[in-house]
This record gives sequence, structure tokens and C-alpha cells, in this order.
Amino acid sequence: MANISKTLESLEMQTTLVKKQPSSLKLNFLKEIGSNKRARYSLFFLLLVILIGVFAPLLAPHDPEKPYYEALLHGPSKEHLLGTDSIGRDLLSRLLYGIRATLTAASIAVAITFTIGTFIGLISAYIGGIIDNILMRIMDVLLALPTIVLALAIVAILGPSLANAMIAVGFASIPGFARITRGAALTIKSSGFVEASRSIGSSHSWILLRQFLPNIGGVLLVYTTLFIGVAILDTAALSFIGLGAQPPTPEWGTMLAEGKNYIYQAWWLATFPGLAITSVVFSVNFLGDALRDMFDPKSMGR
Amino acid sequence: MEYLLEVKGLTTQFNSKKGPLTVVDHVDFNVKKGEVMGIVGESGCGKSVTSLSILQLLDKAGEIKDGQILFKNINLLKKKEKEMRIIRGKEISMIFQDPMSSLNPVLTIGRQIAEIMEKHEKLPKPMVKKKVISLLNTVGIPRASEIYEEYPHRLSGGMKQRVMIAMAIACNPSLLIADEPTTALDVTIQAQILELLRSLKDELGMSILLITHDLGVVAEMCDRIVVMYAGQVVETADTRTLLRHPKHPYTNGLIQSQPHQSKGERRLKSIPGQVPTPDKFGAGCRFAERCENVMEICSSASPPLVSIDGQSSCRCWLYSDKEEMTI
Repeated sequence: MANISKTLESLEMQTTLVKKQPSSLKLNFLKEIGSNKRARYSLFFLLLVILIGVFAPLLAPHDPEKPYYEALLHGPSKEHLLGTDSIGRDLLSRLLYGIRATLTAASIAVAITFTIGTFIGLISAYIGGIIDNILMRIMDVLLALPTIVLALAIVAILGPSLANAMIAVGFASIPGFARITRGAALTIKSSGFVEASRSIGSSHSWILLRQFLPNIGGVLLVYTTLFIGVAILDTAALSFIGLGAQPPTPEWGTMLAEGKNYIYQAWWLATFPGLAITSVVFSVNFLGDALRDMFDPKSMGR
Repeated sequence: MEYLLEVKGLTTQFNSKKGPLTVVDHVDFNVKKGEVMGIVGESGCGKSVTSLSILQLLDKAGEIKDGQILFKNINLLKKKEKEMRIIRGKEISMIFQDPMSSLNPVLTIGRQIAEIMEKHEKLPKPMVKKKVISLLNTVGIPRASEIYEEYPHRLSGGMKQRVMIAMAIACNPSLLIADEPTTALDVTIQAQILELLRSLKDELGMSILLITHDLGVVAEMCDRIVVMYAGQVVETADTRTLLRHPKHPYTNGLIQSQPHQSKGERRLKSIPGQVPTPDKFGAGCRFAERCENVMEICSSASPPLVSIDGQSSCRCWLYSDKEEMTI
């Protein structure tokens, strides 16, 4: 063996490396998030929001469900920084506690979408043929309905509650996610390295887990992040029309719905929950966009 | 004579809308231990399908209809998919035409080679890493321990093909199928890769089935050659005989089509026409339309593959009356 490598070393001039620095996916990733302004700020903001949600009992100035009857529909003041609602509950406290319900609902919904959507998409792309056709026609039928209408239908069957709302939103987003996964996986399916992997004796599950998933992982992560934004909006929307979180649970969508009745008397009631939803969804989308730029393996180390 | 691989009457069909197309038609050849066997032919002759058939890697449209593939005297076509997986990579491995797309872009080089060893040999992890690095050294990759951590897009085409070769020889297979291993590379790298394959063959004692359309590569590498045309074997001989005294008009045409400096001709010869597609195979000789020596019988009956002197065989009416038929 030794003599081969020696003879070949002399021939090595042509086959040189393009770049020299060794790279590691994880290290690079953290570094890039740190160096990408949009990603850094939005990630920072989201972490802050999550922390506030976790420590809401310590941070909130009042009990979110305790009515102050002497201060109905009071505007922002020293006592109630963001004002009070129609039965005198402190809006700031409700907003802080609302982070919990809102973000949990969105994450669970996205977890449902991700698991089932990825599974359907991968299976559909990998097996192909009749299975692919059947699965994708079902997805097409579901896609024909807007997500929110589908979620409405599901929640109407299950009954209105926050748990059912997140299940409904999760399931309603599956068709879109499965389609994206399938599309991404199809480009992998026809690539040379899958054939090469088969030629060294890989099993189907191995190919799916080791060849497909890492390759479409970036795409999936990006879309998952973007779906979080959609899921927050959709659960809030369901709560807004009274099918999600039930009062008195503080949830942004529900609060928005309560606020709209007093939009002329008490502008703060609808404005602050609306702003909260907007800013979180915005930063989630920013993060998703930045991740998409980052996750092209060819741009790594550049 | 002990054969490592014997392909007998291999027939592979593809299902199309118009019905089944026979892409590989009763192909016979064999590979001895430690030998380089070449399969030559134009594009669309069934070379690649033949090699994919050996490993049963055809996708759903392709189906092996008939024949035997004896590897170490065991018929691979009788094996189940699970048993084939153990053979692929460990006993028979394959390198592909395009090294650019044959490596997974999001896994490091080291990981990809290590996977094969973990799968087939079940070694502990630190040992695997050591072995992978020594493998990378073997295939002539400098700074192997750095390349181990590298992603494929940072390597040049020649380096990638070396990595593919390292993957292919990771478990010391007895047969390496190389499907046009140098087509996607430029000429200087081609020579290096061929040189590497040859020395690996000697060191590891494996046989190589080299599929190519490049007669230069064949002349340099192979001990014996099978010439395929339109899904059939048209001539088999050892390299020297085949290149010096080609029998089949097609082989002759291929050799004539090689550019030659000393001839002083201004135009490069070529074989007129194209390889017929499988749905246009007639009853007669499939090469008849393009043949210089076409005779009356050629268009009506397909010539058998006849043995010429025990060593070589040829499928042409020019020779078929001289010797007894083999098929």
C-alpha cells in the first residue's frame, strides 16, 4: 500500500483541494447564526419572549385573571402599564402569561405537522408509484381547502378548546408540509449518491435516515420555522373566533377578540396583543429566512 | 478455469408503454480471478444495464427476465434482497461515472466511508477512523486526516473519484465494477485514476469489470474484452487479439473511429447511423444497417455467437460457417 501512495503523491498536483480549512457543520452553524444580523436579533428576541413566558409569574405585576372592578377599561397608567380590560384585568400580566399558551400551542401544532408531514412526504417520494399517487391525491384534496378552513372543520368536530385548536392547526398544515418534503426528497432520490449507497448494500431505512434526512434537513428546518409563524397566527385566529383558548385563559388570539369589541373606547385592548403576535411572527419569519440562506451547504465556510 | 463471475444468458427488460423492451439480450461473459474484463460499446448498448443487473440495482422499470449470474458459483439472481445487501459493497462493489453526484453533500468524507465499514464489518469506532484514514492514503489522497473531516464540495473531481474508489475497496471486495470511472474526468486525472485502479487490483487481488466506451482505456487496462452492441455480445477476445485482429465489423468500426495521428487522414472515420433502439430490433443482425460487409442473410436472420478458436467468439455471418455454433 505504501508504494502506491508514494507514486501517487507525485501525481497529486492536479487533484488539489479547493479550500484548506477543515469545517464542522455544527460549529459553523452556530458561528453563522452569530454573524448573521437578522438571525441573531430574531433568535435573541424569541429567546427573550420564551424566557418572559417561563418567568411570567415573577414578572407579571398582577394576577392575569383577577378583575379590578374599580379600574374597568382604564388606559395605560402607572398602576396598569398597558391598561385594563372590560372587567378590569391587567393587560400586561395577561400578555405575559399569554406567551405560554400561544407559544406552546404553536410548537405542539408544528411538532404534529413536522412529524407526520415529513413521514408522509418521505414515504411518498421514496416508494413512488401507486403509494405516492394515493398519498399525494389525498394531500391535494386537503390542500384545496385553505388551512384555516380545514382547521375550523377539525376543531368543529373535536370541540372548541386550546388543545383541540393546536391539534387542528397541526393537522391542517400537514398537506403543505408533506408536499414540500416530497419535493425536496424527490431531488435527492434521483441523485447519484443514493444509488451509490444502494450499491454498497444500504437498507431502505438507512438510506432514508442517513441519505435523505440530512440532505433535506435544512429545507425542513427552514419551513418548520416558517410554519411556527403560521401556526401562531392560525391558533390565534381560532381563538379569535372563539374556537381556541377559552376565556379566562390568557391567550393572544382570545385577547385580541375581546379587545375588538372595545376598539373605539379602549384602543390598547386590541393593539397590544396584536403587536405581540405581529412581532413574534415577524421574528420567527426573519429567523426562517436567515436559516434558509445559511442552510445551503455550498455557502458553508464562505 | 475458475471463474469469479459468470454471466449466462442474462436478459433484462424494461417495461415501457409500448410493451417490454429487451435492453440486454442473452449476454454471456465471465471474469476470472484477478483479471480486468472490459465491456465496450457505444452509448445505449446495454453496458450499464448489464452492470446494474449484476448487482440487481435496476429501478422498478427494469426486470431481469432470464439467465444466471454466478458469483463464486452461486447464482445471485436466486438471492433475496436482504442477502444481496450483504454482497453489495462487501463482495462486489461499484464505482460510478459521475463522482460529483455520487457523494452525499451534507456528510463528511470520513463519515461516508466509515458507514460501509460499520455496516459490513462492525468494527469499533476508533478503529474505523484509523482504517478510513489509511484507506484515503491508499487511494492517494494527501493530508488524509484533514480530508476525513471535509465535505465533498471542497474536493475536486479527481479527488472525489478517489474517495469513491476508497469507498468501493473499503471491505476488500473480490469484484469491482467500474462503470465508466473516468468519463467525467479530464485526461491527466483519467490516467492517474486508471493507474490507481491497476495498482489496487494487484495489491488487493481483486477482479475489475471495467465498463467504458473508450478503447484507449481498454487497451491500457483490460486483459480481455467483451464488445456489446444493441444489447448483445458481438465479440469476445483478449485485448491484444481484439485490437489487432478485430473480427466483427462493429469492433473494426470502433477501432477505425479512433483518432490516429500517423495516418495523416483529414477526416475521422465513423460508423454511419446510430445504435437502433430496443423497439426497432429486427429479425436480422442488429448491426446490418450500419455494416460495411452486409450480406443478404444479414437482414433476414440473426447470426449466432460462434466460438472462433476456443478463446474468442464473434456474432457475425462472416464467421458462423467456419466453426460450430455455441448457442
